[in-house]
Amino acid sequence: MLARNILRHSGPCPRGAIHRAFSTQADTSSSSAPSVTSSKPILRPNIATAVILNRSPILTRTPTPFETAFYSYQARIRRALSNPFPHEFYFKQGSLLQTRFTIEERKREKIAFGPSFVPPEDVDPEKAAADKAAVEQLAQQEGEGEELAPRIHPSDISNDIKSLDRQGQRNLYLLLLANEGGKDVWRFPQGPVEKTELLHQAAQRDLYSEAGDHMDAWIVGRNPIGVYKPVGPAPEVQNCVFFYKAHIMAGQAQVDGEKVKDFAWLTKEEIEPRVDKEYWSVVKDILSDF
Amino acid sequence: MSTPSVSRAALNLKRFGRAPRLGKHLRKSPTTKLPQPHVKLITREFAPCRLEDHYHNTLQDDLMYMTYKHEPEGTRKAPRQIRLKFDPENPYSKFRANPSVGGSQLGKKPAPPSTPDNVVRLEKIQIHTMVKESIASKANLLAPLMMVRALTGETERGGGQHAVEGIQLVRGKKSIGGWLRQGIPAGVKVDLRGQSMYDFIGTLTEFVLPRLRDFNGVVLPPQSSSVNTPSAVSGVVSFGLPPQAMVFFPQLEVNIDAYPDHLPGIHIHFVTNATGVGAQDRARALVSGFQIPFARR
Repeated sequence: MLARNILRHSGPCPRGAIHRAFSTQADTSSSSAPSVTSSKPILRPNIATAVILNRSPILTRTPTPFETAFYSYQARIRRALSNPFPHEFYFKQGSLLQTRFTIEERKREKIAFGPSFVPPEDVDPEKAAADKAAVEQLAQQEGEGEELAPRIHPSDISNDIKSLDRQGQRNLYLLLLANEGGKDVWRFPQGPVEKTELLHQAAQRDLYSEAGDHMDAWIVGRNPIGVYKPVGPAPEVQNCVFFYKAHIMAGQAQVDGEKVKDFAWLTKEEIEPRVDKEYWSVVKDILSDF
Repeated sequence: MSTPSVSRAALNLKRFGRAPRLGKHLRKSPTTKLPQPHVKLITREFAPCRLEDHYHNTLQDDLMYMTYKHEPEGTRKAPRQIRLKFDPENPYSKFRANPSVGGSQLGKKPAPPSTPDNVVRLEKIQIHTMVKESIASKANLLAPLMMVRALTGETERGGGQHAVEGIQLVRGKKSIGGWLRQGIPAGVKVDLRGQSMYDFIGTLTEFVLPRLRDFNGVVLPPQSSSVNTPSAVSGVVSFGLPPQAMVFFPQLEVNIDAYPDHLPGIHIHFVTNATGVGAQDRARALVSGFQIPFARR
């Protein structure tokens, strides 16, 4: 329990503090009470939780040229093998809906099997033009043809790594630039586990304390999904960082600028050059390639 | 560099050569009178599927983390034999059906150990509707049949998908005095797999459920209900939609006049691969990941 209390009050460099605490304890015991086992003090591991905060993709993935070709081929086979469509049940004869369906279906057949496949229309051109105008008017009434939002966000162009709207097709993860032992390192939101606290509760508290409570996040499950055991300055104390996965639902990260200097929303490839090699080997399989 | 190759690929998708000349005519199906290709064709995905991507990107990982049970190898105990089988070495019972005397204990079978391969996933969605009036006259089944066709985009053995039966008529299994006779059509059902399954969930959660009045979610069974019944370990989530809800499907809404006044409601079963104790919870976790809400009464 001693070690844990020291850890909590020791500030930015817990490992060194623990090391010193035990060395002084060993010194005093050897001088005053030789019966205390100074060679094997009970060292509690240094437990912390880290949260891998994920922003899921907000756009569908653009298919590769191969996928496009595959889908097109499969759609053509499917169309060729489909059962005949019962017009007479679904449409009243000569209704606007039927006209629209016929025009659209001809267009789809043309795309699927080529212009020579579709037989020429046997209606007089005046009627065909009237039908086309009526269908266009119907489409306008139903609000079709609205311009879609672009798939590239302004933050992609300006490469704003703090924006949650960047890289809509990819999974993004929150990385913090924290000051650890006088050195600036990129890592996931992280913090120590307090006494009588469960791991998943600690994960939630640590996430909000480092990344700000201006967001709505959900931690997935109660089990940690990975563990990182860094070697500290005191090799006899074991350090464990348990990883949790979380999703951001709303809001944005906010950092205090003192202990945590900066944050970034990054894809898997962008995380690799920023973090320590050993750290990367632990988290790389947790992060999504897409 | 890359632009010419991309444009050529795009060009190839839209350019059509002459159709191959048919040496002999295709065999026609005796039932449908439609030409049958002489190879068995199975169609695969024909468009990108948003919800399937969502499952593979997000849901699968989350469900694995949420449902993982730590069981180191060799720690699982063999199930306790309550009452033994007949002696398998006995020549009398050796090659006979030899069930254990206490029954199959289906509801008490533990879940298979958590592995990346058996993360809970959706196998199929079954939609069915029973139409009482069709017992009197099977013409009453036409509208429900067409409704299910429009809902799901499936037809009977359509689209070359021989693995899928498509829309099927449900016939009476046995005679029940004064109500049902054996072999007469009594309803319609369809099994959706793959893409059409995800498309159906998308329509349901985006167009239908938000527009339903007084719908807070699929009602969960009371907490006191048994967890060992066969239905609680089958990994199937079921609920129904009332006849009033059918109008909200955009596929039906677009030409709702084509159907007679009273369309029947549908039963929907989400069949997952979850089995064993707690299968129902895992199946619900999966289905709620597709944004279908659950609520306590």
